Amino acid sequence: MEPSVQVRDLKRDRVNFVLENVDLSFANSLRRVMMAEIPTVAIDIVEVEMNTTVLPDEFIVHRLGMIPLNSMNCDEALRYNRDCTCSVSCRYCAIQLVLRVSCNDNETLHVTSDHLEVVAQTSYDDEGEVGDELSKRSEEFGHPVGKGNPNHQPVLICKIRKGQELRVKCTAKKGIAKEHAKWSACSAVSFEYDPYNKLRHTSHWFEVDERAEWPLSDNAKEEEPPRENEGFDYNAVPKRFYFEVETVGSVSPQEVVLKGLRELQAKLANLILAVQSTSDMPSIEGADVPAQMAMQPPGPAWGAPVATSPNNPYASPSGGQTGAWGGGSDQWSGRGSGTSPSSNTGWNSTSPSWDSGSGAWGGASSWNI
Amino acid sequence: MNAPARHELYVLEEGEKPVEITDDTKIPNAATIKVVKQDHTLANMVRGELLRMNNVLFAGYKVPHPLHPYFLIKLQTDGSETPVKVLSQACTKLIGDLSSLEQKFQREFSFKDARVDGPAGDDPYGTGAGGQAWAAGRDYLDF
Ligand SMILES: [Zn+2]
Repeated sequence: MEPSVQVRDLKRDRVNFVLENVDLSFANSLRRVMMAEIPTVAIDIVEVEMNTTVLPDEFIVHRLGMIPLNSMNCDEALRYNRDCTCSVSCRYCAIQLVLRVSCNDNETLHVTSDHLEVVAQTSYDDEGEVGDELSKRSEEFGHPVGKGNPNHQPVLICKIRKGQELRVKCTAKKGIAKEHAKWSACSAVSFEYDPYNKLRHTSHWFEVDERAEWPLSDNAKEEEPPRENEGFDYNAVPKRFYFEVETVGSVSPQEVVLKGLRELQAKLANLILAVQSTSDMPSIEGADVPAQMAMQPPGPAWGAPVATSPNNPYASPSGGQTGAWGGGSDQWSGRGSGTSPSSNTGWNSTSPSWDSGSGAWGGASSWNI
Repeated sequence: MNAPARHELYVLEEGEKPVEITDDTKIPNAATIKVVKQDHTLANMVRGELLRMNNVLFAGYKVPHPLHPYFLIKLQTDGSETPVKVLSQACTKLIGDLSSLEQKFQREFSFKDARVDGPAGDDPYGTGAGGQAWAAGRDYLDF
């Protein structure tokens, strides 16, 4: 049976769908990849120029990191900072934002994500190799989600009173939630199967009456209730999976699902290539992954999808396909280009570097969130 | 200060081999494959697919330590194919399933897009996210 899907509901920030005819392991991998491996942009380094608010630097810096920034098409629109050849960060691998708020009234001022301004970055000497990242960005890329929309409630960062001020410089970078949850595109992914617990994958603790104490989920309507005295089918496996993917707004739910599927394919394709080049097999018959895969551009071998052309390069809908193996082991040439220890130098301080030169409290400190 | 870079969890280092294959010395047609910088997401899916294949006698995986970013997958075949070949076939099958699913999702989304574009009264995010771009009939693939 071919896997199938039925989208039950689609909103701007969520999608609800039913996945059928797949393994539990398959469905779970999709869940995991959507939660943890969709690249987004988030504030990663903050330079605190002035903070006379009631909240300490760390507190504010942490809050800034969690603010969702528009990350549509982040895959292509931004480079990983670690892969960039620039000295610290540049317009290809980072988004610069500033927050400059002071209160001069008698009323409490709410500092929110709407106060964050993206700084237009011009080119300069130290920047990384020229790429097409900038042309892949939408206008809002890197801007706080919902900024400028009157129907949208911004994220509160802190409240300040008369005479207080907050002035920070932020560097937002591309990352995935496996590294830090602030990069997660999803606030929640709900995942359910077997609402009647026919498979007995869980056991329901109860006082008196199991059915009264364990109300059925809505998804139970989609399935046959168990008959009275029905025997236990120990060969049965779960086949229908109920998902609800809820995003934080940085990426649309459609993009989360599709990128998730792409990412899984990239992982598998890279595994095939790795296994093949390690065991000295000339070519694997029946393994039909097209030759494009052998021509992947240099980049992090595992992290980035193998190919991101509009037409799925390995779109063999489960069937026979041409594609010979690229042959040779040079497929891995791109591997490891990712870690340049020199990037970030001077920024990775794990403790605040208080600048003693400019006054006791006002000194700039940089934070690696 | 001397903490390892966080991305070492999922990015191969310079010159690091992505897999290591060890043939079993005692069991015929069996091998243990160490896959580096990957976790349960890949391992469990591959293991699941291997177990559905007829010529696989055994397939299992483990992540020996949660702080060490690799997993081991062990499999034994009935001898009709080598373990490595069977593993590649399993991955290829999964890629096929995923890409057909991707197309189905795209079809479903194109049906539902009309609804998203309607009056955005019930939408907490307004025109945030990709909402606007999708509404304009574009998606991230159009770039
Ligand atoms: Zn750069």
